[in-house]
Amino acid sequence: MTATSIPVPTGAARPATRPASRNPDAGTRGGTAVRFLVLLVVTALVLVPIMAVVGLSTQPALGSTANGFTLENFVNIFRQTDVLRWLRNSMSVTVVTVLVSVAVAAPAGYVLSRGRGKLVSGFSLVLFVIQSLPVVTAIIPLFILFAVLGLVDSLWGLMIIYVGSTMSVAIWMMAAYYDSIPVNLEEAAWMDGCSVFGGFIKVVLRNSLPGILSTAIFSFLLAWNDYLVALVFLRSSLNFTFPVGLQSFFQQNATNWGLVMAVAVMMMLPPVILFACLNKYFSVGGIGGSLAGQ
Amino acid sequence: MSTRTVEQDLGRARKGVGVAGPGRPGREAPRKPGASAFTLLAFAAPAIVLLVLLNLYPVLYAGYQSLRDGSLISSGDFVGAENYLKVLSSPEFWASARFTVIFTLVGVFGSWLVGLALALLLKTKVPGSTVFKVLLLLPWVVPVVVSATAWNWLVATPQSPLPILAEALGLGNVLFLADPTLAQITVCVFKVWISFPFMMMMMSAALASVDNNVYEAARVDGASRWKELTNITLPMISRSTYISWILMTIFCVNDFPTIFLLTGGGPVNATQSLVVMAYNTVFQNFNTGTGVAIAFIMTLVLIIISVALFRQIRKVQIL
Repeated sequence: MTATSIPVPTGAARPATRPASRNPDAGTRGGTAVRFLVLLVVTALVLVPIMAVVGLSTQPALGSTANGFTLENFVNIFRQTDVLRWLRNSMSVTVVTVLVSVAVAAPAGYVLSRGRGKLVSGFSLVLFVIQSLPVVTAIIPLFILFAVLGLVDSLWGLMIIYVGSTMSVAIWMMAAYYDSIPVNLEEAAWMDGCSVFGGFIKVVLRNSLPGILSTAIFSFLLAWNDYLVALVFLRSSLNFTFPVGLQSFFQQNATNWGLVMAVAVMMMLPPVILFACLNKYFSVGGIGGSLAGQ
Repeated sequence: MSTRTVEQDLGRARKGVGVAGPGRPGREAPRKPGASAFTLLAFAAPAIVLLVLLNLYPVLYAGYQSLRDGSLISSGDFVGAENYLKVLSSPEFWASARFTVIFTLVGVFGSWLVGLALALLLKTKVPGSTVFKVLLLLPWVVPVVVSATAWNWLVATPQSPLPILAEALGLGNVLFLADPTLAQITVCVFKVWISFPFMMMMMSAALASVDNNVYEAARVDGASRWKELTNITLPMISRSTYISWILMTIFCVNDFPTIFLLTGGGPVNATQSLVVMAYNTVFQNFNTGTGVAIAFIMTLVLIIISVALFRQIRKVQIL
């Protein structure tokens, strides 16, 4: 088996026509400076709410003796809220969702990418229709069903619903990535006596890291950020995930911004860190997916 | 089948990926005799089971419920189309439908314009453009519960920064979330703020696939910048544009937390979209049948709009 490793279609596969020389006159120092300033102002304006969260979290909370910059809110929230529990609940729900949805979507995406015929295109169409249905519609029957199964107010119930709601997009994302992997690589593996399953694992999946990471980031953001499902299904504060936890804490301490924002910072750190680290895969991997085939 | 390419494009689009270029080469089918329907079915089986249980079953059951007058705990009696008639004749439904349309139009085109403008700016040579790109994605990455809290701090009370700023500018006492029209505007601006990074990613990817030689030819012909944009850039990225519009329409119509967390649908239902209305009907008034009927009517319209836009894409594809 010779061809198990192909160049991963990322930056290298982008077209040679780079936007660098778009406008000869745009390269002048004045034009660049103006554009830089515009971007700087727009970015600063856009980030005001996020900077406010970070800034306020380091300001003394109500009843605090500190003045000026302080980190005491980050100590106090551990005593005054269940932030650790929310963190743990959200983490476990999110990690399970990511693992399961990638594991299920990876082989299903392969069918969408390599399969042909009416059944496969029907499958694809069903995925689209499912995606356009509002979550509110699905929640009601699931709530009734889960009440019977004892899955209301349970993190397991939440995980099951999140896996269901990531499914169609996750399958598309995996399929789109497989589309960029030439099928003759698998054929070579089959010639060497590999089974279809073996070829999928050894050839396709091995070369799909950017696709897998994109799907994982998508599932992570969905599960970590969801508010509606958690709001409907979670009853006891022991089971709260971060979004409902933060929201209920905010409703009880509406003007105590120091503490509220400290909790908010804790909540946004995981996705921001994840995105900062894997951003390269999310954007470039994705762009590569669409351009590599050309 | 032409819908198929569209759906793959959707898939790519979901990743914030460009779909503009001439397209990928035709799909190659595995030629191994053993790659049977059975194997493929085995690959898809876990996903199909999940989709049937968690997506298909709820929709069918919801359809059944929409014909009954049940609640979350009782299944009620069969009432036929009564729920639908009740919903369609209620002024609250039409007010919510109106706001949903406004919210969606502003959400789609507002975020598209901002996203496209930023993507065009970032395409040119600007120092630190990578840093800007990552920073500008933050509104999309930060959980909506967090950003809604931040916006609440920014606008909600008379002591918030923006009302104070407005007062200092001589605009008087501006209550952003207490005045119906202002609350509608605020919610829409909040949605654009959340959504423009997604559009920026899609448009950046689309712009990256436009061949620069075209511009050089245009410049030789003496085309102005504006002409360049409207006659070259926009037509070249029209496929991605349509796909991004479809996706954002779906996102906006189905959006719950953006509105619910900022205003809860108020004041006096001014910012109540259909999804929020469906939620309130089911979980606050315990009227399952009517709530589902609202969601179904909304979804039907949504699918009609999506199909119309898909047709448009197919036309573009022929060009």
